[in-house]
Amino acid sequence: MKRGARASEWTALYALSIVSALALSSVIVEATGGNWWPVVEALVDGSVKAPGRWGETLGVAAPLLLVALGTVVSAKAGLINIGQEGQLLMGAAFAVYFSFRIGGPGPVNVALLLLFGALGGAVWASLAGLLRFWRGVPEVLSTLLLVFVAVQAVGYGLKQQWLLLADEASRGNRNLVSAQLPGDNRIPRPDIFGNEFPITVYVALGLALAVAYLLARTVWGFRLRMLGHNPRAAQRAGVSSTIFGATALAIGGAFAGLAGAAMFAGGGFAFGNYRLVPGFSDNIGWTGLLVALMARERALAAVVAAFVFAGLRTGSGFVNSTGVESRITDVVQGLLVLALLVPPAVVFLLDRRRARAAATERV
Amino acid sequence: MTNAATSLTGTGGPDPSVPAVELAGITKRFGGIVACDQVDLTLHRGRIHGILGENGAGKSTLMKMLIGLVLPDAGAIRIDGWPRTIHDPLAAAALGISMVHQHFSLVEQLSVWENVALGEVGRLNSSGMRDRVAAISDEYGLEINPDARVGELTAGLRQRVEIIKCLRRDPHILVFDEPTSVLTPEESEQLFGTLREVVAAEGRAVVLVSHKLDEVLHATDEVTIMRQGRVVDHRPIDTADARSMARAMVGREVLLRSERAALGLTANHDASHDEADADTQRHEPTQPVSANAPVLRITDATVKGRGGTRLLDGVSLDLLSGEIVGVAGVEGNGQRTLGDLLSSLVSLDAGQVVVKDAQVAAGAPGAMAKAGVAVIPEDRHDSGVVLNMTVAENLLMVDPHRVAHRGVMNKQHMNMLANQMIEDFNIGCAGPDAPMWSLSGGNQQRVVLARELAAEPDVLVAAQPTRGLDVGAIEYMTDRLRQVAKDGVAVLLISSELDEILDLAHRVVVMYRGRIAGELSRTEANLETLGLLMGGSEA
Repeated sequence: MKRGARASEWTALYALSIVSALALSSVIVEATGGNWWPVVEALVDGSVKAPGRWGETLGVAAPLLLVALGTVVSAKAGLINIGQEGQLLMGAAFAVYFSFRIGGPGPVNVALLLLFGALGGAVWASLAGLLRFWRGVPEVLSTLLLVFVAVQAVGYGLKQQWLLLADEASRGNRNLVSAQLPGDNRIPRPDIFGNEFPITVYVALGLALAVAYLLARTVWGFRLRMLGHNPRAAQRAGVSSTIFGATALAIGGAFAGLAGAAMFAGGGFAFGNYRLVPGFSDNIGWTGLLVALMARERALAAVVAAFVFAGLRTGSGFVNSTGVESRITDVVQGLLVLALLVPPAVVFLLDRRRARAAATERV
Repeated sequence: MTNAATSLTGTGGPDPSVPAVELAGITKRFGGIVACDQVDLTLHRGRIHGILGENGAGKSTLMKMLIGLVLPDAGAIRIDGWPRTIHDPLAAAALGISMVHQHFSLVEQLSVWENVALGEVGRLNSSGMRDRVAAISDEYGLEINPDARVGELTAGLRQRVEIIKCLRRDPHILVFDEPTSVLTPEESEQLFGTLREVVAAEGRAVVLVSHKLDEVLHATDEVTIMRQGRVVDHRPIDTADARSMARAMVGREVLLRSERAALGLTANHDASHDEADADTQRHEPTQPVSANAPVLRITDATVKGRGGTRLLDGVSLDLLSGEIVGVAGVEGNGQRTLGDLLSSLVSLDAGQVVVKDAQVAAGAPGAMAKAGVAVIPEDRHDSGVVLNMTVAENLLMVDPHRVAHRGVMNKQHMNMLANQMIEDFNIGCAGPDAPMWSLSGGNQQRVVLARELAAEPDVLVAAQPTRGLDVGAIEYMTDRLRQVAKDGVAVLLISSELDEILDLAHRVVVMYRGRIAGELSRTEANLETLGLLMGGSEA
């Protein structure tokens, strides 16, 4: 089903764009008085090389992958969900509420907490679905704007003790913070070769396989893809755009919500250390969207893309210690992200041109 | 005449003995396909030049190169004797080349003069533009009200707007691409009158692209015939005759009635031969099992469009099993909506659709297909196929459960079925996994046909089933439709090709402005009676 683009083309495109981004970055770093090579070393050290780092990277990759999988499902139905950041935050908030107000101790609760998170994301995305299929509001707008509503809503929750705010004893002198998840409700983080990461990494991998299978092999996936490619042909063949579309949006939200819950219960200092705090989502939703973009809506490709983006993130943490000014390292990071996204965009344009040529050929 | 020519061309009065356009050795390849192969074409001022060929013969590609939409791979273009490269339509316009496209590009909400003024730069001079439109319409006898809203005009009048748009720029080379496909026979007559009497007399070079022999014989001065990208014949029209032209165009003797229908040959030519032929060739089941209860019964179907316009206005229609009912009419009079209704794509504002005694929920996803209504849609890319999916997937779109077990599709089973259909329907493709977009139009149409017939339908709706197909594919499609009806399926043939309808249908209804303007039995129906109804006059 790939349209013309071959492996060699992909390799060449990625090589070209990454080399260009690195070259440009080096010029910028050197020109502003920094040293380039330590930056590169820091990137590699921080993402995979230094002790314990690839585990850290995997821990970041898991929520990114989950978000991207949801994005893939929505996109296959022809829907553009760009509100993962908010759906993720809602998922985390639902998980927090469940852990402290409903659930009890024990591993069963870990699973339930994750499900609750998925429910939160699904509910939030379904608001957009409702608007889309009841009133015709474009989902690209509503999902985006609901991000900002989600941030405010969770912010409100974090001020109310009956919702998310921790009681005074456990929050100390902090405001706007949930209680810390107790040890027996946390997702296990076994140690493997000196690297530790939450076992949700395996869950995410399993879900990637499941999504790929679902889309490629089942009648449901077949109909979903049909809807995405040609809604009128799908309607005629018996695919209800309302039912399938709303389901696809809800699934997209559920994955983002699951990612939020997994971040909350999975630990890692990057993600609030088992607490829900303001800014908890930390751009994982947005970045997950980029992962899906780089993977060109393919679930298995998203596995690789998620790891690459996670590495960029964990590696950048180390770059800050090289003495290069943080604004410059931000530019470097931005250039590298761009380098990862340019090849899919180029291939998209090439494909479209080829398709058009193929179409005119037969006129 | 010279006077007019010089004043109109505006490029300083070229020498009239130099051809307006010379194309020499023009070649264009798309991938492995040679669309135009060493084509030579010379257009003279004051003459109407017909370009005749089947679909896919390279006519359109050739014209696209002339107006700058496609760049030739090899060959030379000379305009008024000067070698030119035409990179884009703007360059073509600067050289005085203008084209009236087959499909209109008009803004329906705007008035006629506003449409003509579109694309103008600088300040809009409304009274000046209105006068200009009036002047052109006077000069060429293209009667039209400059203030009329385009959305309310008939197809024939809309085409006039397109022609005025073209003429306003004083082109000295005018290309008409299949101009009659949207016109009633009478409107076509008028168009040719305008072309001959005025445009040609003013020393403009006119090209008429067509696949209808009748039209070319009737309206042109010379003809170039193309086949498979090559020029196979070029002669003045007075030395041409329909039979030899058809032979040149198709590459063999044209025998079948359906072929001649496709070429527009049945209308005025070989009338006696035709009749004799018709009796032997048409199955002519004039009374097809009329005792049967109707399989499809549409009652008072009304569909409102945006702004309350009635796309369908109280349409009632019964279809018996085994009969072919033709729906004739100028395009845009509700036929598309009728097709959409039977494809579950629109819901009804009033009325009902009953298939085999059970009412079908119009507009509910897949309801019509499930009730046994198969559809070959007018625009297969719109609702017939999914270009980005494989041939096998397209073949099983409507009923994927055939190859599924507990919701999981069995790839092997799927490919087996697909291969069977590919073989049965002779679908030219690389295999079941070939992407749909890689197939030619004719083969895509076969995929649709194969899928729809595989569902063993009770009703088959065929909307413009042969549009854009070459003669071989037309023949195949026509035979299939006859066969399907013979097997007891009720066939609704929606077509703007009268010849096709007269060739196939047992009974003809004519649509006009969303209504059924009249119903004729096959014996009553002929070009004249149908033409009158299509134009809105009571028969």
